[in-house]
Amino acid sequence: MSFHHLDQYATTASPITRATPTARVVGTVTLACGAALLPLGAWIPLLALFTLVVFIAAVAHLPARAIIARMSGPFVFVLVASAGLLFLVPGNAVGRIGPVTISDAGLERFGFVLGRATVALGAAVVLVSTTTFPQLLGAFRQLRLPVVVTTSLALAYRLVYLLVDEMERLQRAAKSRNAGGGNASRRRLLIGVTAAGLARAFARGERTHRAMLARGYQGEVVALESLRWDALQGVLVAGLVVVVLATVLFAHVAP
Amino acid sequence: MTPILAFEAVSFDYPDGTPALERVTFSVERGEHVALLGPTGSGKSTLLQHLNGLLMTDRGVVRIDGENVNQNSVRAVRRKVGLVFQDPNDQLFLPTLLEDVAFGPLNDGKRPAEAEALANRTLQELGLDTAGNRAAHHLSGGERRLAALATVLVSRPQVLALDEPTGDLDARSRMRLVRLLRQRDETLLVATHDLGAAQALCHRGIVLHHGTVVADARLENILADHDLLERSGLAAALDD
Repeated sequence: MSFHHLDQYATTASPITRATPTARVVGTVTLACGAALLPLGAWIPLLALFTLVVFIAAVAHLPARAIIARMSGPFVFVLVASAGLLFLVPGNAVGRIGPVTISDAGLERFGFVLGRATVALGAAVVLVSTTTFPQLLGAFRQLRLPVVVTTSLALAYRLVYLLVDEMERLQRAAKSRNAGGGNASRRRLLIGVTAAGLARAFARGERTHRAMLARGYQGEVVALESLRWDALQGVLVAGLVVVVLATVLFAHVAP
Repeated sequence: MTPILAFEAVSFDYPDGTPALERVTFSVERGEHVALLGPTGSGKSTLLQHLNGLLMTDRGVVRIDGENVNQNSVRAVRRKVGLVFQDPNDQLFLPTLLEDVAFGPLNDGKRPAEAEALANRTLQELGLDTAGNRAAHHLSGGERRLAALATVLVSRPQVLALDEPTGDLDARSRMRLVRLLRQRDETLLVATHDLGAAQALCHRGIVLHHGTVVADARLENILADHDLLERSGLAAALDD
């Protein structure tokens, strides 16, 4: 296995990585919900939440470049999905792109959606960067997510590593025979490796199921006990919830 | 005394009609260490999968501790027979080693705290006590083999069935595993074409060729019979 980058910041010592994973999950959900609950145009409260995310990321010793890189994929999706707001929300025209008109209200809503997404994605990236997947699963269990969901996630996580490992091996084998020289050839190689990888994943799934049966699996998923709450963590998370809630309330009542 | 495991005229064909086992008959006494020898495709893995009911046939009888292996008994049988698969990656499917090792006891109805304690104890026995919170993809090949073994030993099976346990291990890891297995009191059935490991672990050998038992004798006698090894495709393994 040549990649370990997924969990590379989770072992960095910081107050955030010392917090329980459950506290981190609750904090992230609170920030994301806080951003989603802000009324349109509440730019200052949105900026306050964004500052909070930046502060948490700094406390977690996460490099800005890493956060931006991890946010960029989902952010492009948000950008594309919300681009229609620019033209569909009625208002005064502020510009034109080809045959369509951009309205001021559309521009404001588009900007606000991107702002909300930045806060939510930033919080999520801080969470996944500071928390290993097994810790995340432990937190989900403690938060009483159904065991079948957490176990499916657990199996998927392991399978992803096995799949990437097998894809890498297939790719190496193909390259050792000079496959993938030009662009077209590289595309053909990728398709071939993907198809072979999927077939192998299917076979792996069969064998894993047998291994589960051999150890008494009867279709009912049982998990180890979840993590325990720590009083100090509880206080810190409660503090964060209060701050976010106050920000949202302020945004709703302030003129 | 009832043998701990017995195959009586067991035949098995794959769904496409390919014969995998042909009237296989043998029995193993409690505490015996037996090597199941044969080249790739001789039916070793198929035979092992009959031991704990992953594969079942209506041609012949498989008995574990005197009990026929069938749909009614399969749960009890799986408590008695621990099967270690050829590829440890098939056996390590959860995010951490501790969860993987605790999987068997949890399915056996143990409470989570008890299962966790058993898993920790087993990891300690195998020298993997610091690896409990690691993911399988962060373990070395040798550690992964031991981890796969731990997932089975934790349930304290009476029979330990191992499919190519030394495959793709370096010399040091192989020696460590062999030393560890030699000390086990459980009945061992080791499917392998690693004749060196078989010799170090077992006193008796059963040779399978095209799904048929062609020899069942003391291992030293089997290894001395070059004609037999040649006929059953094991001579090359001896050269290794």
